[in-house]
Amino acid sequence: MTTTVSRREFLKLGGAVTAAFAIGQMLPPLVAEAARQSGYLNANGDGFIPSMCEMCVWRCGLIAKVKNGRVVKLDGNPEHPHSKGNLCPRGQSGLMNTYDPDRVLTPLIRVGKRGEGLFRKASWDEALDLVAKKMLEIKQKYGPEAMVFSSTHNISQPLFENLLYAFGSPNYGTQRSLCFNAMIVSNIMTYGMEEPERSYDKVKYIILTGRNLMEAISTSETHDLSFAIDRGVKVVYLDPRFTKTAAKATEWLPIKPGTDLAFHLALLHVIIQENLYDQDFVNQYTVGFDKLAAEVQKYPPEWAAPICGIPSETITRIAREFAAAGKYALAHNGWRTSNFVNSFATERAIAALNAIVGNWGTTMFPSSGEQSSALGVPPQPPFPRVSALRLDGVPWKYPFVPLKLGIFQELRDAIVKGDPYTPHGWFISRQNPILSLPDRNKTLEAFGKMDFIVTVDIFLNDTAWFSDVVLPEASYLERYDPLLPVGNKAFLRQPVIEPQGEAKSALWIYKNLGERLGLGDYFQYKDEEDYLKQQLAPLGVSLEEVKAKGYVQLPGEGTEGNIKYNWNTASTKIELYSESLAKAGFPGGTGWEEPPQPGPGQFYLLTGKVAQQTQFATQNNQLLHKYSDEPRLWMNAKVAAQQGIKDGDWVEVASEVGKVHIRLRATEAIRPDCVFLVPGYGHLSKGLTTAFGIGASDSVLHVSYTDPISGSQALTQTFVSVSKIADAPNEKEHKPLYLGE
Amino acid sequence: MSIKIKIREFKDLQSLPRYTYILAILTILGMSTGLYRLYAGLGATTNLSTVFPWGIWISFDLTMVAFSGAAFTLAALVYIFHMHDLHSAVRPTVLFGLLGYSSVLVILFFDLGRFDRFWHFLVYPNLTSALFEVSWCIAIYTTILIFEFSPVVFERFNNKKALAIIEKITIIFVIGGITLSSMHQSSLGALFVIMLPRVHPLWYSIITPEFFLVSSLAAGISTIIIGSYLSIWMYGRTLDQKVIEKLGILMPWILGFYLLMKIGDLIFSHKLGLLFTSGIFSILYVTELTIGVIVPLILFSMKSFRKDRNKSLIAALFVAAGIALNRFDISWFVLKPLHGITYFPSWIEISLLIGVFSGVLLVYTLVSYYFPVFTETIAIEKKQKEKTYPAKVAEAVTGD
Amino acid sequence: MAKYGFLIDASRCIDCRACLVACSVENNVPMTHTRIWMKETGVTGEFPDLERYTAPYHCMHCVDPSCVSACTVGALQVNKDGIVTYDNDRCIGCRYCMYACPFEVPHFEWDKQLALINKCDLCVNRLEEGQAEPACAATCPTDAIQFGKREDMLALAHERIKNEPNRYIDHVFGEHENGGTSTFYISPVPFEKLGFPTTHREESPAEFNRMTTEEGTPIIAGSVLTGMTGIYLALEHLQKKNPVHTIEKDLETVDSKKEKE
Ligand SMILES: Nc1nc2c(c(=O)[nH]1)N[C@H]1C(S)=C(S)[C@@H](COP(=O)(O)OP(=O)(O)OC[C@H]3O[C@@H](n4cnc5c(=O)[nH]c(N)nc54)[C@H](O)[C@@H]3O)O[C@H]1N2
Ligand SMILES: Nc1nc2c(c(=O)[nH]1)N[C@H]1C(S)=C(S)[C@@H](COP(=O)(O)OP(=O)(O)OC[C@H]3O[C@@H](n4cnc5c(=O)[nH]c(N)nc54)[C@H](O)[C@@H]3O)O[C@H]1N2
Ligand code: SF4
Ligand code: SF4
Ligand code: SF4
Ligand code: SF4
Ligand code: SF4
Ligand SMILES: [Mo]
Repeated sequence: MTTTVSRREFLKLGGAVTAAFAIGQMLPPLVAEAARQSGYLNANGDGFIPSMCEMCVWRCGLIAKVKNGRVVKLDGNPEHPHSKGNLCPRGQSGLMNTYDPDRVLTPLIRVGKRGEGLFRKASWDEALDLVAKKMLEIKQKYGPEAMVFSSTHNISQPLFENLLYAFGSPNYGTQRSLCFNAMIVSNIMTYGMEEPERSYDKVKYIILTGRNLMEAISTSETHDLSFAIDRGVKVVYLDPRFTKTAAKATEWLPIKPGTDLAFHLALLHVIIQENLYDQDFVNQYTVGFDKLAAEVQKYPPEWAAPICGIPSETITRIAREFAAAGKYALAHNGWRTSNFVNSFATERAIAALNAIVGNWGTTMFPSSGEQSSALGVPPQPPFPRVSALRLDGVPWKYPFVPLKLGIFQELRDAIVKGDPYTPHGWFISRQNPILSLPDRNKTLEAFGKMDFIVTVDIFLNDTAWFSDVVLPEASYLERYDPLLPVGNKAFLRQPVIEPQGEAKSALWIYKNLGERLGLGDYFQYKDEEDYLKQQLAPLGVSLEEVKAKGYVQLPGEGTEGNIKYNWNTASTKIELYSESLAKAGFPGGTGWEEPPQPGPGQFYLLTGKVAQQTQFATQNNQLLHKYSDEPRLWMNAKVAAQQGIKDGDWVEVASEVGKVHIRLRATEAIRPDCVFLVPGYGHLSKGLTTAFGIGASDSVLHVSYTDPISGSQALTQTFVSVSKIADAPNEKEHKPLYLGE
Repeated sequence: MSIKIKIREFKDLQSLPRYTYILAILTILGMSTGLYRLYAGLGATTNLSTVFPWGIWISFDLTMVAFSGAAFTLAALVYIFHMHDLHSAVRPTVLFGLLGYSSVLVILFFDLGRFDRFWHFLVYPNLTSALFEVSWCIAIYTTILIFEFSPVVFERFNNKKALAIIEKITIIFVIGGITLSSMHQSSLGALFVIMLPRVHPLWYSIITPEFFLVSSLAAGISTIIIGSYLSIWMYGRTLDQKVIEKLGILMPWILGFYLLMKIGDLIFSHKLGLLFTSGIFSILYVTELTIGVIVPLILFSMKSFRKDRNKSLIAALFVAAGIALNRFDISWFVLKPLHGITYFPSWIEISLLIGVFSGVLLVYTLVSYYFPVFTETIAIEKKQKEKTYPAKVAEAVTGD
Repeated sequence: MAKYGFLIDASRCIDCRACLVACSVENNVPMTHTRIWMKETGVTGEFPDLERYTAPYHCMHCVDPSCVSACTVGALQVNKDGIVTYDNDRCIGCRYCMYACPFEVPHFEWDKQLALINKCDLCVNRLEEGQAEPACAATCPTDAIQFGKREDMLALAHERIKNEPNRYIDHVFGEHENGGTSTFYISPVPFEKLGFPTTHREESPAEFNRMTTEEGTPIIAGSVLTGMTGIYLALEHLQKKNPVHTIEKDLETVDSKKEKE
């Protein structure tokens, strides 16, 4: 399907990009147009093409409008359950991701020092040969476990996993320990499934524990929550910050960080003491209720109030209101729950709360995740046995953390320490650990230990900037990915334009690298379309049909009506008390775990998403940049005044592992004992011409703490001091346009 | 009249003054900054902003047009009202009008975001647009002024045929010119009628066009008076004081009518109260009316002021200052500065203005030097005026 | 002919700015410009009793638009659907519309050498292409922007206020402002607090403008023309009967005497 574009011709196309931007034009540059005219493009042609967004992991269905071989607009696909016809700001900006003038469009091989940013362009053959050679060298010298692999959740991840398991390495780093390990592991331990589905159709009462749905957007869920609010559903929102969700909630409780557990224990206390729970559901589906009841007996609202800073009457009232809503109530189990080392316990309490009001089947549903047995898979031999220990301690130190989640920050620490052994190579795909891991200096130190680093990305993001080889993936608008089941449909990501430059799909990259590594048997497909045809084979549906519709109906699944619960736990029931945890020496129930607190003159450092950016990946997107706030350190206005710091002043923020300089936003919208910094700024890569020089990175400040049960990183457990600094470092001007002049 | 006499007459003017070179330099500098503005765009070169999209250039345009009203006012007096004794002022005034309007067109050109499309207003008319009316009238009127001035050129080159033709049809052009002038003088005021949310209520009035029209008559007359004084030290020639006196007589009537309109507007729109409660705006309003209307009204009512060249100059300066302030007020000082951002022109804006204004003076000087503009005026040698003049004329000059 | 309209509900908007991005993409708006903004109250109140409201803000598509009335070259027009369109091939960049619009909507490309205006045109091309909604309304994840027929939107606005009087203040912004618009807002807080301009007028100044340009100017022109002609003819007639003595004539005689010498 892909025609190779020779280097000279590619340069010609590259020239078109520069020219288009030199004259101050916005977008889209004429790359695709130029390519089409030179006869290289024959994508789907002009028109409206259904595909899938990947500006974040929610993956909304989209419809791309293509004109003269260029994507000119993206709209939400009304048929997709994750978009419901809408796209969030990041989804709307997606074509600027593809047409970013900073895109890497040809493989790059480092020529300067690491981090210097000097690369030369290379052909795919040369780059892949080099990567394969280095990987095999490392394997030969130090064993396959000396190659570390890491990647953040994406649709082609099964093929990435093929690569690493076939290669024989146990070392797999994912973003999950930085994200939702606490939630996932607690759900597994309680319900036997990773993440139940939530439904807002009938909901009447919602408690959101730091789930900032109006900013950390998942389009359909944000949509559903906002429609629920519109219906008059009561929403209680816990967050030390007055976020945009707080502004829409019926009740915002500026809870003290790390004390959500105390709040939820008190809720359980009231509901159980006052017999407000759903006895039938508890009896039929749960184990360990008595132990739970006995435990929470110790935690009345009067106990919780001084701990979490919420009046006991409020807690009591909310408990009663929540229980009164009964099965129509929903305690959101959160998403990025990596706040404190007690986040796992908090998540267990939330899981218990949902169970005892019996909301399953009304606001909570079992979910099988993104898998479907109805789809075919190309044949492949079994993976080789791995004998080496995992560097991140899973499962030998962390028995409850699933292998495919892992503990990324522990993996990084093991690299730094060389304990239990020293790895030598790192293969990274669509991930930016330099910014996403806590303690950036330590991550850079780990990079320094590596003989060889290869990154698959679409830009010279920070991680690519520090790599030895950069392999350019085609953007999500330019490539196929495997079919993705959602509910009773499987959705297709298909190229709406042909890849620019020499960018290639992950399916292509892993296959071609795999073959060079002698692992061709794990990639038994001719090309992307062949892979999809093999997936579709059992369904007897043609690829053309799926391409036109954007999805394929899956048989049998998602039938409405009676839900058969299949609690995949040791006891086959919802485990309000976990014998497995207890046996391993952890608390089987949910008791209070005191979180650490900042010392005098220190603040909790909060992190959290803004609606206009995704993680550490989109700050270079000109369209998002256009409508983003200037990243500043939030501090309570009164506290700032006491410290003699004014809005807009430059401050130094320091933790025990690093310090950054940033401008201050004095605001009422945050607890006096907290400060907040939006993640994703302060990039090190000069290859990001829009983002470089803007803001500061909170990852520089974050101290690494791992929850021993779930492996979750505790991101709020970093305490910082803030002091005014005299001279302002010259940061690039950032003038958001959204407020007008 | 023979060509010989003409040439002798130009020699009556003082020799080309040294300041013409300074004017030339200023003009070149100003126009260069203008070219830079065209190259770099409005944002980079001006202090104009979303909040303040028009600035000193527009205020200048308004003021310049008001003063250039001299041409049509005089044309009306001379040709329509048959005050032929004012005829001697026609040529210098028409020249000033022509250059004044040209400078406005030049500035407007620099003020357009798409200056390359300046001609669009000719082919895409929007008849409800005051700005369309203004630009259209000014363009045609400038053409008429060229026509009105053409006798000077034809005389210079002794083209008697053309002169004869022009003389015959002059009156048609004069009436056309006066009509167009009334239209654009008033339309300039109409510009602000749609700017209801922007203009301070003290100034906002649906009869702003009429205010502009009437005040432009006063501005025009004051221009002639001031110009006659300036021409003494620039060219050593001036108008007979009788002319000035006659013009002065008109002033109290025009200013009085204007004052009545203004006060009537305040009363009928229930804005009298605002006059005392609007802080700086009250001060501006009262100042504008006091110096531009009330004081000169009193002064021009006094015979001693009309008869004395110096005193009438003072009175005329009052009018000019007041009306200039009025134009700057309505187009700048009293526009609601949204979000608290106020405007002050950039040096480039000012430099272009200085350049264009210097250009006007330069061309004026050169034209008067080489063309028979001041034919009907009387010569005044700065140092020995009493001696050189025939008794009759000296009388006129001193106003005895 | 039914006109289009918007209903924008500040109580639903979450300030995600998807509408802003969507507009820029749909209309290929230059990177340094925008046709749509957020208006906001900012965070108000004292910790922890805080509030914050936002709403997207774009052209109101006035029924009798001041900008259309003012535009020098007719680059701004109202089309049959009530959309106030902008023709960038015609615009001369005079910026009069910026002063005329009571809602501060037209914005100018200050940074360009050949600069134009940016203004929402209700995605007229998109609608003509057959898509149901403008880009901003289509993408809004919370339905804070609704799009439909003008009357329907207005009715819905009133219905929402009637059904939930505690949720909204009793004011449909756009119903009367500037003589009525096609974009209606409802909000839990007064519109000044959201940063909206206050134009509490029942009529658009476009009406006054037409009075002066379409009636005033012709009247002035007509009366000046006839007045001047009349006076001229009358005086000419009189003068022929008894010529007046003027300084000018004196001077002329002096001159001609000299000449003869
Ligand atoms: N301080 C702080 N740290 C955090 C968080 C926080 O809020 N604050 N959040 C945590 C959470 S919730 C998460 S999920 C993690 C996320 O952590 P990461 O997954 O490391 O971060 P992303 O920014 O999502 O990295 C995505 C990378 O993929 C690249 N990319 C984009 N599109 C493509 C593509 O099509 N193909 C390929 N190959 N690459 C592509 C981007 O350029 C970027 O480099 O971070 C965690 N860490
Ligand atoms: N726009 C946007 N949307 C996204 C993403 C994105 O990058 N951008 N990323 C996606 C991903 S990968 C994820 S995981 C989700 C994350 O979704 P969320 O979990 O909702 O996200 P965050 O913004 O990371 O954190 C939410 C809030 O936690 C608060 N917080 C910090 N410490 C505590 C505490 O101790 N207690 C309580 N109650 N609150 C605390 C912070 O102030 C912050 O407002 O968002 C997804 N959606
Ligand atoms: S939530 Fe936004 S960024 Fe994420 S997939 Fe959906 S539209 Fe794309
Ligand atoms: S898209 Fe909707 S919710 Fe988001 S900012 Fe615009 S109006 Fe508000
Ligand atoms: S809001 Fe302004 S730009 Fe829009 S139609 Fe009304 S007057 Fe014109
Ligand atoms: S700037 Fe353009 S659109 Fe605005 S009034 Fe002038 S010509 Fe019309
Ligand atoms: S209607 Fe279209 S042009 Fe107007 S603001 Fe919405 S997206 Fe932009
Ligand atoms: Mo995440």
